Amino acid sequence: MMTIIRVAAVLLTGFFVGLTLEGVSRKIIARIQRRYGPPWYQNFIDVFKALSKNGITHGWIFDFGILMALGGVIATLAFVPLGDLVAFPGLDNLFIIVYLFAVGALGMAMGMVGSGNPNSSIGVARALTQMLGYEIPYMISVSAVMYYYKTASVSELMLSQQDSWTLLKMPLGGIVAFISLLGMLGKKPFDTPIAPAEIASGPMVELSAKYMGLLMLMHTFSIFVEIGLFVDIFLGISNYWTFLIKFTVIWILATLISSVLPRFRIEQVVKFYWKVPLGLAFLQALFVLLGWVF
Amino acid sequence: MIPISYLVLVFLFGSVVSYLITKANRIVGAIFNFLLTFYALFVLWNLEIGHTEKLFSILEGVENTFKVSSLGKYFSIISLIVISLVSFFIIEWIRKKPSRPAAFNAFVLIMSAGIIGVFFSNDLLTLYIFWEIAVLGSFLIVPMGKEDSKKAAVIYVVTSAIGSYMYLFATFSIYNKYGILEFDQVSRFLLNEPSNLFKWFIILFIASAGIAKSGIFPLHTWLRITHGNAPDAFSAILSGQLVKMGSYVLAISLSVFPSTKLLASFYSGVPLLNYILIWLGNISIIIGTFMAIRQNDMKQLIAYSSVANGGYILVGLGVMNSIGYAGGLFHVFNHAIAAAMIFLSFAAVVYRTGTTKIDEMGGLIWKMPWTFVTYLVGIISLAGIPPTSGFISKWMIFNALLTKGMFVTLTITFIGSVGSFLYVFRPLAGVFLGQLKKKHYEVKEVSPVMLIPMLVLTLLTLFIGVYPKPVLDFIVSIENSLGIKPIEYSGTIIKTSLGQWDTLTVFTMFAVGFIIALVLYIIFPRGKKVELTDQYTGGEYLFNYDLYHYATGFYRFLERLYDKHPSFEKLYGMLVSFFKSMGEIINELFYKVSPSGYVFWISIVILILFWVRW
Repeated sequence: MMTIIRVAAVLLTGFFVGLTLEGVSRKIIARIQRRYGPPWYQNFIDVFKALSKNGITHGWIFDFGILMALGGVIATLAFVPLGDLVAFPGLDNLFIIVYLFAVGALGMAMGMVGSGNPNSSIGVARALTQMLGYEIPYMISVSAVMYYYKTASVSELMLSQQDSWTLLKMPLGGIVAFISLLGMLGKKPFDTPIAPAEIASGPMVELSAKYMGLLMLMHTFSIFVEIGLFVDIFLGISNYWTFLIKFTVIWILATLISSVLPRFRIEQVVKFYWKVPLGLAFLQALFVLLGWVF
Repeated sequence: MIPISYLVLVFLFGSVVSYLITKANRIVGAIFNFLLTFYALFVLWNLEIGHTEKLFSILEGVENTFKVSSLGKYFSIISLIVISLVSFFIIEWIRKKPSRPAAFNAFVLIMSAGIIGVFFSNDLLTLYIFWEIAVLGSFLIVPMGKEDSKKAAVIYVVTSAIGSYMYLFATFSIYNKYGILEFDQVSRFLLNEPSNLFKWFIILFIASAGIAKSGIFPLHTWLRITHGNAPDAFSAILSGQLVKMGSYVLAISLSVFPSTKLLASFYSGVPLLNYILIWLGNISIIIGTFMAIRQNDMKQLIAYSSVANGGYILVGLGVMNSIGYAGGLFHVFNHAIAAAMIFLSFAAVVYRTGTTKIDEMGGLIWKMPWTFVTYLVGIISLAGIPPTSGFISKWMIFNALLTKGMFVTLTITFIGSVGSFLYVFRPLAGVFLGQLKKKHYEVKEVSPVMLIPMLVLTLLTLFIGVYPKPVLDFIVSIENSLGIKPIEYSGTIIKTSLGQWDTLTVFTMFAVGFIIALVLYIIFPRGKKVELTDQYTGGEYLFNYDLYHYATGFYRFLERLYDKHPSFEKLYGMLVSFFKSMGEIINELFYKVSPSGYVFWISIVILILFWVRW
């Protein structure tokens, strides 16, 4: 019974905080571009408006892919500890979270390609390639952390940072994880899969109404998983409220960086990730093996 | 209790019966094959561990025997699951293909007899004999496939021979030195062996048979050609079963001869020899993954993925600690089932469309939904995504590498894992999703006879993914029998030193998430169903929707980065043409058709004879 309440709390936090912060980021981008911008609750309006309309569908795989995407991401989010709010204590293995996350990605990719539009196929091919780029340095930097603390449980990784934050102990790994985080979030300069001006928003080209709304929810939850993991692993011990504050800081930082940068081409993304962040991640792993941790 | 030797004889005799029945009626012959393999599965399931049978004695002082070990039983049950389900699939498939159904059925049984013998052999020589029977049976089936398949069969048998002759050389060296061949005795003698070089030589040469068979670098090139060109249903046995024979020999060379006790540790408890083998596995993962991303032929794509997964198994087995070894063994099961599912779904697609090129198809999901479901679950398992069984073994291998601090190997396994998302998506998008081609408007789903084995495999993967106890029980008993510390698990929770996870909770949570999404989906207004041809086209008017399908060069932007990669296939091709031209020179000199050539050589020989004055 407590598990159900905790899962519900995690999901509701994801829903309200996530959508609010997305609205805030739109406001920030607008101010950087010297516009007034929409109100902070604009994304709530968008989601409910999209959900309530009659749209079009391209058959059962299109619908099923969207359900699998949202279901997979909801399942993943439930395993992410939000500070001291842990839905499944002891079972929040990092590998599980990373790979369960892939279910959602696969579902979305499948549904969108199922729409039969080549723009979405190109977008999905790019998204998977980008994943090959950012996932490797990210996993290595996180593995170095796991090797150092001898645990793969996310909440234990958080609780082991009593003396100082992992970000300060392993600064290179933290930087790598943050750069990879930008790629995961699909923020510029890594928004190649979406690329509105090139491939008509890529995977989302055939989405309308309810389908769009469900995928907006999925996107919100994914952001929560990605940044949540970073905050838990690198930014010290936090309770529920400090977790949300750290989360907000990271999200605003990512928004600020992305709003002033242009876009990479897809092969540049892979080349970049496999040169700089992967090299730094290896360096960090070497330092951990040698015991050079601050 | 039915003896194994009896079972092998039944298979060998049954192959003749099957040949005759199939001559009369193809379908009855295929049903006979299925019943026989299913019966064998039943017999093997009930075998007691430790049961021994004497066979014959070829070499002095060596009794050739069968002995049931946990390792052999595990591998043989996986094999027979794959073979019997593929045999069920063949009942329908044999109506159209292959070119010689009677010989096909007979050779499948001969091959199965060899396989059973391999897994229960108690000494190196018996293993070799049955190994060659299995190779012979499978080698004769390969040429019944596509037009290139004769060449494929030759490449297959040559590669296999390289491995098995090295194996045989090691076997006779052992016999020369110790006069015994039983596994237990060999490992006891090896433990007392002072020469490190001899231990290296024995383990490497025995492992080379496994390397050749499971398509590990540098002997990986045959997989693409053979899997790609063999008869479609037989590719499932090749990739799902025969390749696993190689993994079995690798497991024997690394664990039955306890490599960690025989050799000194090189890096965190792993000997240098294991480390070299792990590196061969790493290179296989890299080659398999990146070459699979490039393929346009769906069977060759999964063939390359078999190279990568063979690498995973070798990496897991090579680490030789409790969790890594368990991961390697579990991956044998997962890859066998997943590869069988994927190749069977491809066989169904080829059965209906007659092509294996990804960009010649598209949108088949609307015509063959159940085949699609099989493929989908197969690739989820192959890519190692929960809640299927494929994730469990990958998780174990990651954990083993992480506890050992092997970061480079860990990186490569991550690359292989994320790369597998890329390559499995290519047939998914190109063959099953997207725009349906006009020529495939009349394609129908395959018959239930073909669907049943595919769906049984699908359910098996999902079931083991949620409730892995049956496989874990096997692995624990194998690790106990080999003196490795067994993995810990209770119920559905698997534990390592790095933490634990619960398969059931993950599955339940996924189901809950899906239900939440479904509820949201149902309470909001329905969408209008439109045709696939009703698309956003950026204002263009399209006449031919066949072309509105993105499948050619799916990852071209990524492939461009490694277009100029070094190719071992080309290197071997150069070797082949070198030997060919050498052969032609000799042919030219010695076997000249003209009489003057013969006269010339005869006079030379006579001159030499006179000169030497014999």
